[in-house]
Amino acid sequence: MNGSGVVVGVDIGGTFTDVAIAAADGTLHLGKLPTTPEDPRVGVVQGVRQVLADAGLGADSVTRVVHGTTLATNVVLERRGGPVALVTTEGFGDLMRLGRQARVEEDRYDVLYTPPPPPVDATLTFEVAERLGARGEVLVPLADDAVRELTRRLTDADPVGIAVCFLHSYANPAHEHRVAAACRAALPDAFVAASCDVWPEMREYERAMTTVVCALVGPVMAGYLGGLERRLAEIGIHCGVEVMESSGGVMSAAAAARRPVCTVESGGAAGVITAGMIGDQIGAPDVISFDMGGTTAKTGIVRDGQPRLAHSFQVGGKGSFGATRAGTGVPVKTPVVDLAEVGAGGGSRAWIDAGGALRVGPGSAGAVPGPACYGRGGTEPTVTDANLLLGYLDPTGLAGGVTLSSERAARAIASVVADPLGLDVADAASAIHEIANATMAAAIRLVTVQRGIDPRDFTLVGFGGAGPVHVARLASTFGIRSVVVPWGAGVASAIGLVGSDPTVELVQTRLVEVADADPVDVEAVFAQLEARGRAELGVDEEQPLIVRRAADLRCRGQAHELTVAIAPGRFAPDGLEMLTTRFRDEYERAYGIRSTAGVELVNARVRLIRPVAKPPRRAERPPTGAAAPQPARHRAVRFPGEDRYVDAPIYDWGTLAAGARLGGPALVAGPDTTVVVPPAARVELDEQRNVLLHPPNASDSPVGTGTSPARTG
Amino acid sequence: MARADTTSFDDAITAEVIRNGLAVAVEEASVVVVRSAHSTFIQEGADACAALLDVRAQLVAQSTATSLMHAASLRCSLPWLLEAVALDTMEPGDVFGLNDPYRGGIHANDILVFRPIFAERRVAFFAGTLVHVADVGGVAAGGLAALATDTFSEGLALPPVRLARAGKPADEVLRIIGANSRVPDKVLGDVDALVAGAHVIARRVDELMGRYGPAELQRFIDAALDQTERRMRAELAQLPAGTYHGGFTIDGDGVEAGRTFDVRVAVTCEAGGVHVDFAGTAAQSRGAINASISQTLSGVLYGIRCFVDPSIPMDEGCWRPLTTSLPAGSLVNPHPPAACGGRVVAVAAAVEAILDALAGARPDRASAASGLIHVYTLAGSRGGAPWLNLFYEFGGLGARVGADGADATGCFFLGGRSVIPQIEPLEAAYPLVVRAARLRPDSGGPGRWRGGLGVETVVESLGDAVSTVRGDRMTIPPPGRDGGASGDAGQYLVERRDAPTEALAPKQADVALGAGDRLVVRTSGGGGLGPPHARDPELVLADVVAGRVTPAGAARDYAVALEPDGRTVDVQVTDGLRRRRPTPRATEPTAR
Repeated sequence: MNGSGVVVGVDIGGTFTDVAIAAADGTLHLGKLPTTPEDPRVGVVQGVRQVLADAGLGADSVTRVVHGTTLATNVVLERRGGPVALVTTEGFGDLMRLGRQARVEEDRYDVLYTPPPPPVDATLTFEVAERLGARGEVLVPLADDAVRELTRRLTDADPVGIAVCFLHSYANPAHEHRVAAACRAALPDAFVAASCDVWPEMREYERAMTTVVCALVGPVMAGYLGGLERRLAEIGIHCGVEVMESSGGVMSAAAAARRPVCTVESGGAAGVITAGMIGDQIGAPDVISFDMGGTTAKTGIVRDGQPRLAHSFQVGGKGSFGATRAGTGVPVKTPVVDLAEVGAGGGSRAWIDAGGALRVGPGSAGAVPGPACYGRGGTEPTVTDANLLLGYLDPTGLAGGVTLSSERAARAIASVVADPLGLDVADAASAIHEIANATMAAAIRLVTVQRGIDPRDFTLVGFGGAGPVHVARLASTFGIRSVVVPWGAGVASAIGLVGSDPTVELVQTRLVEVADADPVDVEAVFAQLEARGRAELGVDEEQPLIVRRAADLRCRGQAHELTVAIAPGRFAPDGLEMLTTRFRDEYERAYGIRSTAGVELVNARVRLIRPVAKPPRRAERPPTGAAAPQPARHRAVRFPGEDRYVDAPIYDWGTLAAGARLGGPALVAGPDTTVVVPPAARVELDEQRNVLLHPPNASDSPVGTGTSPARTG
Repeated sequence: MARADTTSFDDAITAEVIRNGLAVAVEEASVVVVRSAHSTFIQEGADACAALLDVRAQLVAQSTATSLMHAASLRCSLPWLLEAVALDTMEPGDVFGLNDPYRGGIHANDILVFRPIFAERRVAFFAGTLVHVADVGGVAAGGLAALATDTFSEGLALPPVRLARAGKPADEVLRIIGANSRVPDKVLGDVDALVAGAHVIARRVDELMGRYGPAELQRFIDAALDQTERRMRAELAQLPAGTYHGGFTIDGDGVEAGRTFDVRVAVTCEAGGVHVDFAGTAAQSRGAINASISQTLSGVLYGIRCFVDPSIPMDEGCWRPLTTSLPAGSLVNPHPPAACGGRVVAVAAAVEAILDALAGARPDRASAASGLIHVYTLAGSRGGAPWLNLFYEFGGLGARVGADGADATGCFFLGGRSVIPQIEPLEAAYPLVVRAARLRPDSGGPGRWRGGLGVETVVESLGDAVSTVRGDRMTIPPPGRDGGASGDAGQYLVERRDAPTEALAPKQADVALGAGDRLVVRTSGGGGLGPPHARDPELVLADVVAGRVTPAGAARDYAVALEPDGRTVDVQVTDGLRRRRPTPRATEPTAR
């Protein structure tokens, strides 16, 4: 571990900015302060300076700053940035306007349904006479005159970003490269992105949209990161900034500015990476990440220490299935940690639908006015209000010095939920809590059983401000036997950023029947991708690098591919046979059918990871003391599934000793969150101060459990 | 605020958990079917239908991205399965299939699969899945028999039969299905996918029964269906009581020259229920545009649902307040063996007729007619191997009160453009080059609210190929409403490399294409709503800037003149034009 210094992780959320700083000896220093929405960098710099000062560390000792940001997502969702021009093949200028929206769920029956407007204005779409065929052959050559005419019109329009996407450019980048070069020459200030560079994968709509998102976010991202680096330099941090990308690696600020589309799930990915690191720490290679904040809960999967990745994503995806629902939101074709996000967070509102059923979310009280108990003018009951009344939260405060009003919470729940349903307030609060759990269970199910994964084999890692309150109950729902709430759970994502490695993932479409493919050819595709990846990471042949290869394969004639991991290293002559076998196995595992149809290779993928020196992971030594700890105080608490309050012991997390054991019913109160320990659950504190929790009755086989879905056996 | 009499604390939680559990079960099944299917018609955005029904054939849950046409078919078929196969002869692991349009099915290519789910040795539920399979014979490869005149020419008929008995595949039946298909491997792959989907649902329901017990599960399901029914009735009660009349006219069936087909409805709203009477609807067609009962019902329910809270879950509770009279031997309830493959024409007409009728009850929800889906196939052979692809394109949506129609998103009850194949994968798979896919300026019906635009797609064949086309609302383009004009009519054309361009009929089979010939598909624009001269000139300008309306169209259809820069309305000239009120295109009362 040569050259390791102080590493800073900063995660910006809607309400709070979290800072984690690892000193060179591995000691962690944590901080949480309100996000500064008008310019989040203000909060970042302030937080970093504060935590460094508290820890007695000098700014000049900082060697890495790793940042998780929702900037790219917000730019897309709020349609900020731009204007962006799209340059495409003649005849296809309406590509974006036609779109590929699906009408799902409620939209299906909405007479007034109108698809969302495309991110590119019709007046900024430019067609160019050129055409390639599916094998990259030139059907219509690109004339110099056409390029000149294009740049003349673009110069008049003067867009901030330019996305170039020609049909079949994944098979032949020449036309796009010529046009992109001409655009850069003619409009030196514009951000120019060519689809063959951004993501050379077949399917023009997603590739064009991915390129447009790049051109939209690029200028904003470059400005933001440049400014952040300058401000950090002003306080003496000169190492530059790295940004977490959607698949959980990190990229340099320069790379993020070049391919900003890769950061769309920067914020969400950090949580899953964190869960993986916690799993590694406690010796659990298979974990489910459960990150619950103010407005949403996010879940993800880590298997064998690796986060599960998906290869496309819908920003702002709609309906109960969110980002995985094709045809909703803005599709982005870059690898992303496979996340499910549901509208159930601390701020989610409880309401009664027209049929008289109690519902929770997806509407949120947000930071303003916030839950009723915050006393900032909110009158609608939220999950946080319910949790307060059930005794899970300390009325004297949350992080950031908010005092919670039980009276306001009770009033809101009474008027909106309890009175209309004829329940008493405590029963109503309990119902709200449980329905939020049911919604979150759907998110866990989505990343587990729906993918053919049995959650009972996993450890559930609960974090985020609200996660530790709900995690034990959720585990019971799924029959999960092992739960971890990490020390620093409230800022866990920032801790995760500290331990991440620079990574690049690249794709190349190469459509060929596997039986007809030449292994030398296939090897060349992978080798080229690896060479490109090395260049992007700035490493030469000698430097150590983790290389992962994968291939997208499908049965001949099918529209959907499956991604199959393949061994690194050169393609052996029998490599193709191996590919087919692996595909057939994976196919049977996923769909329960053994296919015998011919197999097509569609895409080659490589993922390169450059392991960097990190501060040694130092045990966050808890104080020594008795294994049977004493509660700090007691409070009336009504646990999930119980119908009355009990006087429950509350333990102070900060004073619990390593090896301390306690049993539910109890609460473990930390500086920024509370772990709810249901009756009969058992808790042990490990050497890193993590709360290891074993829920009661874990042998039950309740709703959440399930085996591989599609086995027909 | 509604006060739920049955809601107790535990029940509220359990009900929500079960609701989520069932929703995920059918959704997951739909994903498994679509991703593992082999049919070339299952494009990237397409969805298979998956549903859970109880033993009384009540629809408990259905996948959410699915066309109601498919879910309605599963619901309507189950009673026929139960009639054909006694419940007490069913065994765990049995799987049944059928496709008979006269027993709840749609047409030959839509195969339905049911798997009974047992509780305490009795059938308690059925898992159902449905997808358009690759090919089951008939006169046209892939099932687009645009000019079929009976079900026999549409493909293999499957009465309710076992596809598996006690977990063992019924090889003999599967061999018959394979032997009747032009692509046996693909169709059997599709059947496998349907069965795999049904297994997914069964497994999830087994888990729920394991936790709550079968009786409890049924009790909660019954309560959920009752709750949906209450919501439906409460919403329907908001519609002013009365009988509302509506209608829609279909171009033709492609077989009986010159005959148009009227679909007429009388919708009676009363005390939280709705009755829809199709008296006056045309007699059944010789061609394939007939809708079997399940399909007509899907159109009815869809139309009604457009006038209630869209968030009401789609289950049996939605169906209960609904009654219908479907005249026997009519387009909406034909006698066998009338062909039904083009039922989307009649179903969409039924939807328009109901929207038309209920606009009388809710004028604020009125909409003009939409362009219909255009379906076409191209087939040929390359290197001795046959290839075939089914294409879709959508017309413009009709204008709504307060909103222009959406462009090319398909008439109301279809699911949007995610099912349209992308060009790159098409060209990689077939000897075709798509030369253009663009919106058609001026195709949206002029009106105070403009109809959505149609699309033009140009597909060039690189070798010999054969095309079959089916469209409607091309001879009689989607009418406008309340003074709005109709959308511009769509067309099918063949631009020959060495011969004059040919216009095809809206429904035509087996058109030969040579290398370099281009099939041009133009879909109709949606109808406009309200007088075009009442449209805000600034909106007309925005349409011109966005390329939806040409400057000439602005002057002709809207009496709006622009300044020479094309970016400003010439207010003076526009006022003059509008004062003189020239007769705009087709503002006479429409076919309605």
